[in-house]
Amino acid sequence: MRFRAKIVDLACLNHFSRVINTIAKLAKTCTLCLTDSKLYFILSDKVANGGVSMWCELCQGNFFDEFQMEGVAAEHNEIYLELVPENLSRALKTAQSAKAVKIKLTNKHCPCLRVAVELPSLSSSSRIVTHDIPVGVIPRRLWNDFREPSVPDFDVSIYLPVLKTMKSVVERMKNLSNSIVIEANLSGEMNLKIETDLVSVTTHFKDLGNPPWASEDGYQSSAQGRDLESMAEARIDIKKLQQLLAGQQVNPTKALCNIVSKRIVHFILLHEDVSLQYFIPALA
Amino acid sequence: LALRSVNSSRSAYAYVFFSSMFFQHYCWTAASQPCQKEKQLSLPCKLIIKSVLPVFRCVNVLERNVEKCSIYTNINDHHITFQLLCKHGVVKTYNLTFQECDPLQAVFAKHMCPNILKVYSRLLADTMIHFPTSQEEVTLSVTPMKVCFKSYTEEDTDFSKTMLTEVQLNPEEFDYFQVGVDSEVTFCLKELRGLLAFSEATSVPVSIHFDKAGKPIAFSIEDMVLEASFILATLCDIEKETTSQQPPCFSQRQESNAAAVASKKPQGNGNAPNTEPAKPASPLAKQEVKNIPRDTEMPGIEGAALTEAEDHAMLEGEAAESHSQKTGKDFKMAKASLSHAVSYFYTYCIFQFHSLFFGAVSCTEKDAISHTFHSLATASDTEEDFGSSQV
Repeated sequence: MRFRAKIVDLACLNHFSRVINTIAKLAKTCTLCLTDSKLYFILSDKVANGGVSMWCELCQGNFFDEFQMEGVAAEHNEIYLELVPENLSRALKTAQSAKAVKIKLTNKHCPCLRVAVELPSLSSSSRIVTHDIPVGVIPRRLWNDFREPSVPDFDVSIYLPVLKTMKSVVERMKNLSNSIVIEANLSGEMNLKIETDLVSVTTHFKDLGNPPWASEDGYQSSAQGRDLESMAEARIDIKKLQQLLAGQQVNPTKALCNIVSKRIVHFILLHEDVSLQYFIPALA
Repeated sequence: LALRSVNSSRSAYAYVFFSSMFFQHYCWTAASQPCQKEKQLSLPCKLIIKSVLPVFRCVNVLERNVEKCSIYTNINDHHITFQLLCKHGVVKTYNLTFQECDPLQAVFAKHMCPNILKVYSRLLADTMIHFPTSQEEVTLSVTPMKVCFKSYTEEDTDFSKTMLTEVQLNPEEFDYFQVGVDSEVTFCLKELRGLLAFSEATSVPVSIHFDKAGKPIAFSIEDMVLEASFILATLCDIEKETTSQQPPCFSQRQESNAAAVASKKPQGNGNAPNTEPAKPASPLAKQEVKNIPRDTEMPGIEGAALTEAEDHAMLEGEAAESHSQKTGKDFKMAKASLSHAVSYFYTYCIFQFHSLFFGAVSCTEKDAISHTFHSLATASDTEEDFGSSQV
């Protein structure tokens, strides 16, 4: 199993750092899956995470100038590692002016991702900062746990309002209640509601638009034939929603959510070269 | 004007000396009771840092608003007054009480260090920024060809849980680079951050003086009007100690007064470098730096030794007046009153920290000078080794 990659372009490095920062805000520990062409940051929906799951996909070509990997075996050319994204985020934080960043999978005392940052210095040779981030290698028999989640059979799919606005609304609501109700309909209307003994607050968003989902095999999803005005709703943990919104450092090209009434809310945030899916289950 | 401070575990000592030229106006009036044979008249007093900090809190605000800062003392009243004269006629006055004390001072022979590095402050700050703020200990490793700072690890570090960072620097980046002996010293990064921030603000280069593992490391900055230094204890390298080991030796003070006992502890019979009692720089200075070797031969004894010695240091700090010659009595006294410090240090024993021991500078106990080279009491089976320092 081998992996080495190099980033030389500062813009790519910044972009990569931002993605890592976002992941770090969403998960304390997560799985990194490396393939020939893509990197995946995966959080599977275990009870420990509160049922939340995450799937983030990057095209390595958009970030790395050099990327070589060799999986466990020829027909399973993938590597699954468990790591703490905060460590990676920290290693990249001080690399903002780097000449180059090299990442390599090593096994000195234990399996590690070695991040070597080459920084400019006043002398002839550069300053090299090395961070050894411990990782856990996930054996092949467990790879099934980390499949791409399928898009659920949603009731309503709707574009999200401007994330900054949504974030500030949710942040204020977080102080009042532990759970928040998201409801939306197929007419582009979304409400965020909280209700406590003392107060109830609702924020209404209009004209958001509903993304068209082409049904794959002509199958009528539960969204079709649905009354345009009727709201699908789910009550979710407000902290998880706030974490998701707070972690976004750049405005996505597309941001939408799919609501399965009373079951789960599926958020999809698309950037040019990164896609992030986040599932928050409804509270009982 | 001298500011000194020591941390609670006595493993870090800092001082900042301001020459009178630092101030616009500096006036010292002698106190009415002269101390005989004193060359310097000084008023050592002790303040709680937490009380002084609010006076100088926001540097930016201070720069914008304060026109003059005036510091004066009223000895009889035991008050120090800080007065900030601000714009628009606003005057802020802070009255703080002080306690008289005998200041502690560590003597560390900087010029005797084989390794001296001098570097502009930005470089050090840029290096330390790569370590997480929670990182406690950092190892500095030097050879004549390379320098690196790395996270401290020991044999039983759980590598699968800790992220390790290493910064490699080129000797060329240093303004002055002298490595007399290859060494790896580990010190506490947290204690240093204060000096780093200070040196960045003053943009004066930082000098680093150190020796092998176990000997203290000093970070200093010096310019025309001020001199600041942070002296930190470093971790002792167990392996090296055990191989060159002679019967365990530890030193105890026989007196509890300011007459500190001399000398860095020799590591063994023959191979201790510079083991002659480190003569205090000036006859007045009863300060010593003492490295209690964490000799590993008999952990039980070590622990006890350190305990007692540590107690002793504390007691000195308080400048106990008693000129008791009875070792046993002193130790008992010390132990009773400082058991909390003891237990802290006992736990720390495992990590083999050398501690810095301090003698108190006192202007009233001049007569103790004659006892400066009082005998080092050693374990009974090794007394012969130190015959030379018997008074």
